[in-house]
Amino acid sequence: MVTNKLLKAGRDITSKSEPILELRGICKYFGGVHALEDVGLELYPDEILALVGDNGAGKSTLIKIIAGVYQPDKGEVLMEGKEIEIRSPRASMDLRIETVYQELALVDKLDVVENIFLGRPLTKFRWFVNRKRMVAETVDILKRLKISIPSLKEPVQNLSGGQRQALAVGRAIAWSGRIVILDEPTAALGVEETRKTLALIKQIKEQGASVIVISHNLRHIFEVSDRIIVLRGGRRVGSRIKSKTNIDEIVKLITGSL
Amino acid sequence: MLEKVVKKREFILLVSLVSLIVIVGLRSPRFLSIGNFRDIMDDTALLAMVAIGQFMVILIAGIDLSVGAGVALTGMSVALLHQYYPGIPIFVIVLLSILIGFLLGSFNGILVSLLRIPPIIVTLATMGIYRGFVALISGGRWVSAHEMSDAFRNLPRGGFLGVSNLLLVAILCVIIFGIFLKYTRTGREIYAVGGNEIASRYVGINLKKIKYLPFMIAGSIYGLAGLLWVARYASAQSDTAMGFELVVIAACVVGGVSIFGGSGTTLGVVLGVLFLGIINNALTQVKVSPFWQMALQGLIILVAVIVNTVMEKRTQKLVTKRRNL
Repeated sequence: MVTNKLLKAGRDITSKSEPILELRGICKYFGGVHALEDVGLELYPDEILALVGDNGAGKSTLIKIIAGVYQPDKGEVLMEGKEIEIRSPRASMDLRIETVYQELALVDKLDVVENIFLGRPLTKFRWFVNRKRMVAETVDILKRLKISIPSLKEPVQNLSGGQRQALAVGRAIAWSGRIVILDEPTAALGVEETRKTLALIKQIKEQGASVIVISHNLRHIFEVSDRIIVLRGGRRVGSRIKSKTNIDEIVKLITGSL
Repeated sequence: MLEKVVKKREFILLVSLVSLIVIVGLRSPRFLSIGNFRDIMDDTALLAMVAIGQFMVILIAGIDLSVGAGVALTGMSVALLHQYYPGIPIFVIVLLSILIGFLLGSFNGILVSLLRIPPIIVTLATMGIYRGFVALISGGRWVSAHEMSDAFRNLPRGGFLGVSNLLLVAILCVIIFGIFLKYTRTGREIYAVGGNEIASRYVGINLKKIKYLPFMIAGSIYGLAGLLWVARYASAQSDTAMGFELVVIAACVVGGVSIFGGSGTTLGVVLGVLFLGIINNALTQVKVSPFWQMALQGLIILVAVIVNTVMEKRTQKLVTKRRNL
């Protein structure tokens, strides 16, 4: 309850509430390129954290470290205060971290049901997929999230961009992640589809998960997030509580003119 | 609507198949005889077995060019073994053929999945290596009918209710691997990896396993096919199954398997196999010269690819139209 009050009061970085996820002094090099240099990140329970920065600032690299796609060259990762290693995407999923990638992690030629259960199907007799149960669960999930998709048996390549995004985000929520990471969730979406996706992001928080969202669109960021971390050139250059900052300040942090 | 278009591909194939049978039957009634029907079935049985393996490889956006050489190498190995050690029971020979094929296929699979060399390069190389080994172990000579025991030669012929062992094995392969691809977790992962490798990696699908498995299975099947091949034709030669890989790939393409991976059905492959098998037989029946046969086969493949492309374009158009709505 104390945590909740803190949340409502607008948490600041020095608050005593313990982060659910914390990264300290993360460095990542690709050959001679320093993609991340001594970057820290803390994510609190029930929080929507925005990660912003120009192209090449290191946002995607940072979330891919949390998602287990990359291993950091230096630094430590703590979950609920305990040091952990996230060695693979599977390990990240097992920690109940769900990631929705920019390049839409859906398989176009497979249908809605198979995409929802991609990589972890319900099975029967150990080796066989339990299609019937997966269909039933999919209907449930989509209903719960108010996502309307005409046919579950259609390859997802036949869906609209918004439906696909909703599906990708919905999949992350359906797996009831403690932490949901969204990489550019509103890129290439129409006005109405963007509105729905932003509503879906708020819904994740209501379900009791924390969210890290990357976006270039600061208006969207200011609409959904609680706190904003700014990266520039692979370094963290600032962290602001949304209610205590404005778009101008964030732009200046991103471009380095502050 | 879209589902209907997909279904239509198999429907078109079926219609062409039936009309082909009718047209050739009118010109050469012997074509429709039961004896010839059995010949066609036995001929296509080998193609069907190997095509199912190739299908899996193509599903992960790969290709296996080594199947012809693999068939020849396994066939020659077991034929020689049988010739020099006639005491080895036939069922051991059967197991050995599968084992040899398993090793050949695994070699391809390991190079593709662990060293990440493109399948076309790996299997182009192993095609040469395997074919070379055929001549090497046989010293360039043949193993002919009189050097094989009756039990060996009758292996594909025996059977029950007029269905040959060869056909039974092929049917079994189609059913088992058809079920495997459609209903098992690993089978669906093969489709997923072929459809979107990055997405599959991100959800934690074991890419190394999924990229190895199709080559291993294809190898095991063509190993068995190699034994059945030399037993059926009662000869093992350096040029056994030369160019067979192309017919196999053609059968998959005609059956609507996307060469870019991720889509295709077992039913489609079976129809593609029947189509090519029946055409080959029919052309011989109506006494078309072998050279024309090759040209016609090429033409059929071309037509199939064009049909596939046009259909994919049409689907794409429908999709864009819908997305803009």
